[in-house]
Amino acid sequence: MVALVIILALVVVLLGVLVAGLLRSHADILKALHDLGAGVGDPAGEHLHQGTADRSPTGATSGPLTIGPQLPAERDSSSAPDVAGVTPEGDARAIPVGDGDRFTLLAFLSSGCSTCANFWTAFAAPERLGLPDGVRLVVVTKGPELEIAAEVRGRARVPVVMSTEAWGDYEVPGSPFFVLVDGRSGRRIGEGVASHFPQVADLVRRAQVDAGYPRSTPSTPGQLDNPPGQLDNPPGQLDNPPGGLDGPARERANDLVLRNAGILPGDPSLYPRSLDDVFEPGAERP
Amino acid sequence: MTSVAAHGIGATIPSGFEGRIFVRPRVGDEQPYPVAHFATFPLPDQVGDFGGGAVNLMGPTDIFAVLFEYGPESLATKLFARMGMPRTLTTGDFRPYVLRRGLGGQSGTQWFFTESGRPFTFYAVLGSHARRGSLVPKVNALLAGITVNAGVNPTAPTGGSPPWN
Repeated sequence: MVALVIILALVVVLLGVLVAGLLRSHADILKALHDLGAGVGDPAGEHLHQGTADRSPTGATSGPLTIGPQLPAERDSSSAPDVAGVTPEGDARAIPVGDGDRFTLLAFLSSGCSTCANFWTAFAAPERLGLPDGVRLVVVTKGPELEIAAEVRGRARVPVVMSTEAWGDYEVPGSPFFVLVDGRSGRRIGEGVASHFPQVADLVRRAQVDAGYPRSTPSTPGQLDNPPGQLDNPPGQLDNPPGGLDGPARERANDLVLRNAGILPGDPSLYPRSLDDVFEPGAERP
Repeated sequence: MTSVAAHGIGATIPSGFEGRIFVRPRVGDEQPYPVAHFATFPLPDQVGDFGGGAVNLMGPTDIFAVLFEYGPESLATKLFARMGMPRTLTTGDFRPYVLRRGLGGQSGTQWFFTESGRPFTFYAVLGSHARRGSLVPKVNALLAGITVNAGVNPTAPTGGSPPWN
């Protein structure tokens, strides 16, 4: 009888330890959920991501989660810090981009990527680029510690700044990469990759109109690489209002540009399946 | 604000200013020395040492400034007797007739001095003399961020056409 009582007592103790372990595990899971911003209760003041997600009175969260170190307070995904570094000749140069009543187009290039060669060639004759008035083109390569200055020296007749810091500031994933900054707002209003400069120039023109600037013509009409009228639109089709196109009008304008480029509904380029479908062979990838 | 430095000259550039510090390519036996250009408007690729090709592009709220170094033969001459760069200018220092290129409405100032054992001139142009009250503080903010190191030998590219930068 005594032995039975002892065995039962041991079983009870064992079960108690098991339950305590389960409760501890459950608490760890809840704490982890709180840290991810998806928990219940009020975790304010004890979490890494305080301030990055809005919390409703019911405890539900919304808004972006921050992964990794937080950006400085003055920086976010559309901020446009000035570009400063050295030139391929070894001089110093700083260019403000978020200031004034103009656009700055930053072209992040490298000497080694094959796709960049198109742009280096194009930038040797900037008067033929077809950029709208009021847009300043600046080439940014990585700094001399990561880029060969002699390889980029004299290749472009536009300002060239070598600055690894700028690549970090603008979170450049690879080259070629373009960023358009609106000096009036001091913000990035467009960024992405392209394989030929006429694509970039056309996007700049659109962004300029969307930002409320009067529509301008290329600095050298008729000298675009595209056939005349290829990127122009039927009269009135893209006579955008001051606030830019929106809704169905914007969709129609996009469709028109795609059709002019020979990209029709169902075109495989609209449905990339891998990075090979997005980047040209030889282009640097993120 | 951004910082640049080259050829023994450093500058913490106030917001809205563009800057470059360079040495022109050597031509023949000429010995070029460092030049620093600062402007509140996009500087063209080819600009004269004292703003030729740039001052004509200025708007009324623009500023163009040059820090130009001379050779060591200028040291200890009366022109460069002033020791130290001027750091605080007043509206009275700018005059419409102190301009390398007299453009209507503009005004300028020029100072010769020796800084860290190197002879310099600082020349600044305001886009509008009438607006000097709001522009001179910006020039002073620029001056506050310029530093000069002693004993730097300029290294100039030789031959060829001037660089686009």
